Amino acid sequence: MLTRRLIVCLDVKGGRVVKGVNFESLRDVGDPVALAERYEREGADEIVYLDISASAEERATLLDLARRTAERLFIPLTIGGGIRTADDVARALRAGADKVSLNTSAVERPEVLAEASHRFGAQCVVASIDAALVDGAYRVFVKGGKVPTGLEAVAWARECERQGAGEILLTSIDRDGVRGGYDLALTRAISEAVHVPVIASGGAGTSAHVVEAFDAGGADAALVAGILHDGVATVAELKSAMKRAGVPVRETAGVAA
Amino acid sequence: MPEPRITIFDYGAGNLHSLAKAVASFGTAPVVETDPVRAVETDVLLLPGVGAFTPAAERLAPGRDVMQQALAGGLPCLGICLGMQLLLDGSDEGTGSGLGVIPGWVTRIDAERLPQIGWNSLEDAIDPLLAESGLDTVYYANSFICRPDKRSHVTSWSTHGGDRFAGSVRRGRTVGVQFHPEKSSSAGVAFIHAFLREMLT
Repeated sequence: MLTRRLIVCLDVKGGRVVKGVNFESLRDVGDPVALAERYEREGADEIVYLDISASAEERATLLDLARRTAERLFIPLTIGGGIRTADDVARALRAGADKVSLNTSAVERPEVLAEASHRFGAQCVVASIDAALVDGAYRVFVKGGKVPTGLEAVAWARECERQGAGEILLTSIDRDGVRGGYDLALTRAISEAVHVPVIASGGAGTSAHVVEAFDAGGADAALVAGILHDGVATVAELKSAMKRAGVPVRETAGVAA
Repeated sequence: MPEPRITIFDYGAGNLHSLAKAVASFGTAPVVETDPVRAVETDVLLLPGVGAFTPAAERLAPGRDVMQQALAGGLPCLGICLGMQLLLDGSDEGTGSGLGVIPGWVTRIDAERLPQIGWNSLEDAIDPLLAESGLDTVYYANSFICRPDKRSHVTSWSTHGGDRFAGSVRRGRTVGVQFHPEKSSSAGVAFIHAFLREMLT
């Protein structure tokens, strides 16, 4: 039986893991390769690097980082941020990424999903969708969640699947960083609307929130970041809670019923 | 014995770094070869696993007969994911011929949610390499799976949705795995080492 995944996300800028407070005053929290290796040892099922660099100069380090990581990491690595074309996807995969996520570039030109999917297979094309509730409807935002597109989130998720995305990384802008739980209604709406796996993101504050993403949200994977980096929870604690709730997990060190 | 030659046949897309590193940590850095004819001039052949069937079969085509004969002659081969699918006759995914070393056909998984992405368990595993490496939960990223004509070629099974399919196959010194051992953490790397150890000693 296919297990449900716990995915750890690292925000990367200029080749380093950074952490922001209220989206500002970023501070350096370490080397991505060392952190990724640590989370693999602790039982993470996948790693995501999200490049939040503002400039092309900072972003140039991303492929080198993927290369160094792939030589040390033996679980799947997804990279996202600034990837615009199928050739960019090719470079990322050649550098060492297993999957690539596209967000703003997919909204601007949805065909990029189809082009990447035809060349490399749907399994490595992740459509990243940032959504927020606006006047009772979930709307899609781009450029780091700052720019509204007017697109309705469920319709856009369906379009991403139709174009060839093999997975949807769904982030609630409203919940991101708040630690009050995932947006379960949004997660449920998208996971019921598409047939590709859906990764819930944004809002994990406790192990109970992670369990809810699977139970009430219907997600195939849950993405966590801050609560692990800050030591609020461990990978083993989160996966143990999933197991106790009857969510199938990959058994790794310290996962107990 | 001189240092063995281990060759990864590179047929286009995909991340080869993790596989190359897993092999290198066995003690021998692999050679990456894009020419299918030259790829068989080796002690062990690895067919890596990312991409679509048709472009991969096209890249294989000029060396298909040579590679088929080499495998039939006992050249050790590990096919991973799409690389395993290339061991069969052909695929519903697209046109082009596989190697036909494992008779059978590649079809889409019969499941609600595709691709199958994530960790799944291996059932009824009989290949000793799996037990030796402690590999029982493996990482998959695929929509298509192999349906070998002979059940005797299947050495483990997995289930996704309502479909039970071959997790791994073996015929002599040809081994195929539908999952990604190079992405299945330390037990997956141990599996690659166990395969190389069996084939090179």
